[in-house]
Amino acid sequence: MRNYENLVIVKPTLTAEEIQASINAIEEIITSNGGEIAARDTMGMRKLAYQIGKNERGYFHVVYYSVAPSAISEIERRFRINEDLLRFVTIKYDTNREVAAWNQLVLKANKKASSPAAEAKTETVEAEAETVEVEEVEEVAEESAE
Amino acid sequence: MAERRKYKKRYCKYCEAKVDFMDYKDVGALRFSLSERYKIMPRRLTGNCKRHQDMISTVIKRARAAALVPYTVTRKTVVTAPFENLK
Repeated sequence: MRNYENLVIVKPTLTAEEIQASINAIEEIITSNGGEIAARDTMGMRKLAYQIGKNERGYFHVVYYSVAPSAISEIERRFRINEDLLRFVTIKYDTNREVAAWNQLVLKANKKASSPAAEAKTETVEAEAETVEVEEVEEVAEESAE
Repeated sequence: MAERRKYKKRYCKYCEAKVDFMDYKDVGALRFSLSERYKIMPRRLTGNCKRHQDMISTVIKRARAAALVPYTVTRKTVVTAPFENLK
């Protein structure tokens, strides 16, 4: 087993459910070839640095997994057949230093995946702040009416 | 001194920060070693050591393949704020 990372760019023309379905299909390809997914990192819809097949944007998704090195060619062959993917990048983490970095990246991705609750909290706080501002404005309006 | 230095003698910023591994998805960190036209900056200008220059060049090439960083910027494809849309 060796550690790998796959970045896939899914077509932006698909709907949210179709994107999710194609990502599930990608992970299914990895697991069906004996891979163990350690972490996944959704980078979301981003602007591409250059056009790929007339597309300006793409949905970025990163999967960290470990698999036997012989399975990689089959995984990449299946990715090439998949028409939902604009591009995929496979990175091998082989040396001790790279494996340590891979572990760090997995930890970071898992932390990011478990923290959306915290992000949502900050959002609610911001929303509360907005409502407070609105109330102040209303008070001012009342004062001017008086 | 037969020949004066054109550039200030630089040190390797990655050595100073003790960078062991670079992530190609972290585009902001690659900015230091990219020119305005997204060329890889030469070692004689940035002062990077050989080891870190080799690391940064492979990482930039990966980021280019992943469409995170453009290969070239020409007059036609020039963007107003090059690094803003990448963050």
